[in-house]
Amino acid sequence: MEETMGEEILKKLEDAARAYDEVACAALAEEAIKTGVDPMKATNVLTKAMEDIGEAFSRGDLFLPELIGAGSAMKAAMTPLNEEIAKEGLHKKGIGTAVIGTVLGDIHSIGKDMVSTLLIATGFTVHDLGIDVKAEQFIAAIKKHDADILAMSALLTTTAKEQQVVMEALNQEGLRQKVKVMVGGGAIDESFAKSIGADGYAATAPEASVLAKKLIGEE
Amino acid sequence: MAMKGFTRRIKPIEILNDEQFESIHRGTLDVLENVGMRIEHKKALSLLEKNGCHVDHSSRRVKFPPGLVEECLRKAPSSFRVRARDSKNDLIIGGNTVYFGPAPGKQTVDIDTWEPREATRKETYDCLTVLDALPNIHFLPSYTPYFGFEDIPPVMRIPEICAAKIRNSSKWLFEGHSNDCEVFVIQMAEALGIDIMESVLASPPLTYYGEAMECAFRLAEAGMPARVLTGPVSGATAPATIAGSVLTANAEIIAGVVILQLIRPGLRVEVKDFTFPQNMKTGAPAFANIGVSLHGVIFNQIWRRYGIPVGMTTAYPNSKVSDSQLGYEKALIALNAALSGVNLQLVQGSVHGELTHHPVQAIIDDDLVGMVGRFIEGVEINEETLALDLIAEVGPIPGEYLSKAHTRKWWRTEQFLPQVADVLTYPEWLRTGKKTCLDYAREKMEEILATHKPTPLSPDQEKDIETILEDARKFYKGKGLM
Repeated sequence: MEETMGEEILKKLEDAARAYDEVACAALAEEAIKTGVDPMKATNVLTKAMEDIGEAFSRGDLFLPELIGAGSAMKAAMTPLNEEIAKEGLHKKGIGTAVIGTVLGDIHSIGKDMVSTLLIATGFTVHDLGIDVKAEQFIAAIKKHDADILAMSALLTTTAKEQQVVMEALNQEGLRQKVKVMVGGGAIDESFAKSIGADGYAATAPEASVLAKKLIGEE
Repeated sequence: MAMKGFTRRIKPIEILNDEQFESIHRGTLDVLENVGMRIEHKKALSLLEKNGCHVDHSSRRVKFPPGLVEECLRKAPSSFRVRARDSKNDLIIGGNTVYFGPAPGKQTVDIDTWEPREATRKETYDCLTVLDALPNIHFLPSYTPYFGFEDIPPVMRIPEICAAKIRNSSKWLFEGHSNDCEVFVIQMAEALGIDIMESVLASPPLTYYGEAMECAFRLAEAGMPARVLTGPVSGATAPATIAGSVLTANAEIIAGVVILQLIRPGLRVEVKDFTFPQNMKTGAPAFANIGVSLHGVIFNQIWRRYGIPVGMTTAYPNSKVSDSQLGYEKALIALNAALSGVNLQLVQGSVHGELTHHPVQAIIDDDLVGMVGRFIEGVEINEETLALDLIAEVGPIPGEYLSKAHTRKWWRTEQFLPQVADVLTYPEWLRTGKKTCLDYAREKMEEILATHKPTPLSPDQEKDIETILEDARKFYKGKGLM
C-alpha cells in the first residue's frame, strides 16, 4: 500500500516538474518526505525529467522560458529533498559542483541566472552567490562546497577585469588547479578569457552548460 | 539654417485606437503610482520627495502621483534646436521632421569574410569621414561608428569616440554615459559651443542606477539635451507581451523625463524605445524581430500624443552578412519607424545587430534611407503637378512627354535616384562585370575617402579637445581604472 502511495507521489512530482509547476513541486517533495519516500528516488525522478527537458531544448522543441521554468521547479523540489538527504546521511550523486556569480561592481543577473539554471538542469549542484560578488566570497564558497567549476559573469567592460582579480586570488589560495574556471557575459570574449587564463568561455547560457560538462570531462 | 532631414507629409500609421491608447497611458500611470521605480540616487530621491512623490528611502522605491507626471510631460518642449559645429548641420528635432543616423556597432567587420574584429583608429576615422559625406546621415549617435577602437582602455572609449566624431565630422552628435564620462563630453560641447545630447539610461525593470541619475543631474545643470531611453528584453527584463513591455518601457522613460523636468523645467528631451524580444534559444536579444517594429510604432504613437520628440528601436539586422535578410530586416523597421512619426532613427551601417558596423554597408543603407525619406515626403498635388494643360497639349500618340520642359523640371524630385543600387539593364549589367550594390558601395567608399575632407577643427579647438581627453585620462588613472 505504502509502496503504491510512494509511486503515486513520485509520478505526481515528475508531472509537476514537467509542467514547470514550482509550487506543486515544493509541496509534493514535502509530501514525499513525510510519507517516507526515498529522497534519492525522488531526486532521480526529477533528474530524469530535467534530462528529457534538456534534450527537448537541444532538439529545438523547447526554449529558454520552459528550461528556466523547469529549473525553478527542480530547485523548489530539491531544497527540502537535499535537506532530507543530508539528514539521512545519504550520498547524492551529481555530475559536479559549481559556484557561480556576477563579479564585484556588476549588478547584471539575468544571464548569470540562466547559466545557473541550466547548470542545475545539466545535473550540477549549483551554489549561486548572486551579483556584485567579491573575490573572497568566491574563494570561500569554492572551499566550503569543494567546487569543481567556478563560473563568473561580467556585463560591463569596466568590471570584466574583476575576473582577473578573482583569478589572482585563486592562484594565491592554491586553488587554481582544483577548479575549472569559465567566464561569460556581454563584456567577455574568447580572447579575454584566454588572456586571464580561464579554462573556457561561452557566449550563451546553453553553450555554458555544454562547456561545464566538457570541463569536468563528462562529455 | 538647419539640416533639412525629411518632412513626413502623410498621416502617420497608428496601431492603437483611442481606447487602447488610454489603457496603456492609464496603465503606465498606475505602475508609476502604485508599483513605483527603484532609484539608486539620494539627490534624486529627495528632489522627488520634495515634489510630492512617495519615497521609501530604505528600498529606494519612488511612487509618482499622476498629476506630477502629466505636469512634467507638459513641461518638456515638443520641438527644439540642437547646435552642431557647423550651424547648417543644426537639427530642429520634433514635429513631422524625420532625421536618420547611422546604427553603430561594437566592432568593424571584414567585408570579405564577414568576421568581426576590433577597428583601428584609422578605420574609425575613415568610417566617420564616410558618414560625414553621406547625404542621408543627419547626425551621429552615441558609440558611432564603433564602441571603441584598438588600444583604447575601456573607460576611455566614450570620450575618445566622442572626440573622433568631433574631429571627423561637422554633423550634430550625441553620446552615452559610463563612469562619469559625461563630465568630459559636456566639457567638449562647451569648449566648441555645441550641444551634445547624452543618454539617461533606465535599467529595466523599473530601475535607475546612480550612474544614470548622476548623468541626468549633470546634463540638466549644464542645459544639455537629454535622451531618455530604456533597453529591456521582452520576456527577460520586461513582460513578453508587446502591450506589457510598452507599458513598462513607458513607465521607465516617463520617470526619467519627470526627474529631468524637475531638475530643470523645459529641458530638451528626446525619448527612445530600445526594446528587443529575447531570442529564446540563446538568451541574446532577437534583433529585427517584427515585434520590435510593432513595439516601436506603438511607442511613437504614444509619444507623439505626449508631444515629446521620439526615437524608435534601431533598425538592427540579425544577419551577419550584407544579404537579402539584412536588407528586408532593415527596410521594414526603418519604413515603419518613419511612417509612424519617429523623429530620430538609426539605420545606416550596422551589419549584425549592435555588434558590427561597416562604412560600405552605411553607403548601401543610405540609399534605403533615401527611399524611405522620399516615400514619407508624399506627393505634391497642385495645378502644375496634375499637368492638365500639358496632358491636353500632348494628347494621344504620337504625343510624348520626354521632350517636355515639365519632365525636365519634375522627374528628379518625383523619382528617387539611388547612389549605389544596381539599376542597370541586363545587357549593361553583363557588360560591366555583373556588379552588385556591394561592389558599387566599395568603389564609392574609395571615392569618398579620396575626395571628401570633413571641415577640420581649428588648432585652438583641437587643443581644447586634446586637453579634455588628457584630463579624462588623468581622472581615470587616478581612479585606478586605467
